[in-house]
Amino acid sequence: MIKIKKSEFSEFIKNLQKNYSVFAPVTDGKATAFKKIKSADDINNKILNTKRSPKEIFFPQSEVLFQYTERGMEVPKREEKPFAIWGMRNCDTKSLLMLDNVFGEAHQMPKKDMYKDPYWKEKYDNCLVFNLACNEPLSTCFCNWFGGGPFDKTGSDIFVVETDDSYIFEAVSDKGKKFLKEFKTAEEISDKEIKKIEKLKETAESYLAEKQDVSSLFSKTKEIWDEPIWDEIAAKCVNCGACAFVCPTCHCFDVSDEGKGNKGKRIRLWDSCMFAIFTKEASGHNPRSQSTQRVRQRVMHKYNYFMDNYDEHLCTGCGRCVVVCPVNLDIREVIKKILDYKK
Amino acid sequence: MIQNLRTEVKKLLKDKKVDIVIGWEKGSLPLSSTPLFIHKEEDVDRLIFDETCRNNLTTYLTKDKRKLGKTYDKVGIIVKGCDARSIVLYSIEQQIKRENIVIIGVPCNGVLEKKKILQKTENEEILELKIDGKNVHLKGRDFDLSIPLNEVLCDSCLTCRYPDAPVHDIFIGKPRKEIDIKDEYKKVTDFEKKSSEERWEYIKEEYSKCIRCYACRNVCPACYCNECFVDQNDPQWIGKTPEVTDSIIFHLIRNLHVAGRCVDCGACVSACPVDLDLRIMNKKVEKEIKERFDYTAGLDINEKPAMASYCENEKQDFIMG
Repeated sequence: MIKIKKSEFSEFIKNLQKNYSVFAPVTDGKATAFKKIKSADDINNKILNTKRSPKEIFFPQSEVLFQYTERGMEVPKREEKPFAIWGMRNCDTKSLLMLDNVFGEAHQMPKKDMYKDPYWKEKYDNCLVFNLACNEPLSTCFCNWFGGGPFDKTGSDIFVVETDDSYIFEAVSDKGKKFLKEFKTAEEISDKEIKKIEKLKETAESYLAEKQDVSSLFSKTKEIWDEPIWDEIAAKCVNCGACAFVCPTCHCFDVSDEGKGNKGKRIRLWDSCMFAIFTKEASGHNPRSQSTQRVRQRVMHKYNYFMDNYDEHLCTGCGRCVVVCPVNLDIREVIKKILDYKK
Repeated sequence: MIQNLRTEVKKLLKDKKVDIVIGWEKGSLPLSSTPLFIHKEEDVDRLIFDETCRNNLTTYLTKDKRKLGKTYDKVGIIVKGCDARSIVLYSIEQQIKRENIVIIGVPCNGVLEKKKILQKTENEEILELKIDGKNVHLKGRDFDLSIPLNEVLCDSCLTCRYPDAPVHDIFIGKPRKEIDIKDEYKKVTDFEKKSSEERWEYIKEEYSKCIRCYACRNVCPACYCNECFVDQNDPQWIGKTPEVTDSIIFHLIRNLHVAGRCVDCGACVSACPVDLDLRIMNKKVEKEIKERFDYTAGLDINEKPAMASYCENEKQDFIMG
């Protein structure tokens, strides 16, 4: 573990920018998000959960897959510089691993020959992730339900703890180790500081609400699939896509062609299972025409189907959906309702 | 007030005057209430009504007819002034049968706008909220704040003329009566004074925030189309990207679709997860309609709506030559 003083932070970012395009949490009058920064001045390390999740760096809301003319097609050129993301939280770094299951390598399951999405892989493989520990989690955070925590390091390359005067770095992955090895200006940390980190961790964990045991969530969701409880859960949902679009793990998309004359482009766009059109078939038939079916789909995908495929829940407990839901349909309460349900 | 409301609702259910009552209950977050669907008398005590009851619940009367229209013959619904005006709209547009809805009016002092509160706390999370009379008390991890209620009410509430339900079957508490608002359109007139470049810049900047989640549309009582034009893909009318050129078309068309129908309930504004200024254009259209046709949406169940009627002496200065 090594550290840099807060006074050296600007310099650190400047050096990082020599080899990387740097993304970090930014407040710019719009929804807080991870954006490419010009200098350390753009970074807001106080934001705990950006409103827009950093998944959009790897899997943008709209992405041109290729452009075409009558002469042929071409894939748009990507930036060649690798990129670094500063200030991601554990709930977001974990989400990248989950998405990598779908678009990249399956981590948990021995399915080696799965489809690999070149658009995702190109970015994910070229990225250095700095995970900033959450010293003061929000009341809507429930990462501890799903095995995460404010000081959990899963999914990061370098784990960073902010103390009153410094940032303390710990290498997590090989990529992170290599990066820290090349670091010359930083100083080693003392035992006193290790204790300080322990203390910060303890305080952070004490802020989290009581942990819910979700070990039976998988079997329970399967059991109640055709029970009337879903009508009760879904009653207030207005079927907008706010939850899915701020979620760091939702990854469904639609493909749309936009053409005019003899040229055009094919675009991949975020989609949401909350929308009626999501499952509407060309015949006009819609297997999920009702709100209840769509709400059930979202909950089942998160806490059952994904578990079936990749051995983990598709939720990191970031709490973004809890904050944005216009009708306060709180996913934590949905989970509790499901766990408490008796046939 | 709340006890009287609960008693009335219990009576309605007991006498089988309604099959279900839609109201609000305490939400899971300090600034939020959440819709409550009451089928049984024992759930009535969960009912609340206060400044956190932002949702315009009438949206549930049309949005899911499978859930409310067919299964339930008679629906009771608790409404603020603006919400009741949405029911007038539904009735005029034949989306509901007035006699199937029991409208329960409550006296509204305005509802809180989350965005304004978070500006006060500089985006620090609020852990506790208390409202007493004209003040709002907010507690967070490192702050304890008291602010005048007026500073954190929704813009729609600050210029609200009709806080009481203009149509109702039951009214709980004391009506506030019509309020004489002097500068209802101040934001619009200020906006009109800007140059067209400045206005365009503002609109572009605002609509570039949009993430196309359609929360605004889905909570809007006036947006009840079975299939929205943005959802049609054969032919596809507009692009689905979050690029401002696509978003702006969605918002401006929606704007025109709710012209003369929007009751300024503010549901879209409070639903927007990215705090887009959705109100300015709706209010601009409302002002135009008021000036040209002297029409205010949702007040009179027997009046023909502005966009569905024609008079020979209407201003026609938009026709060239």
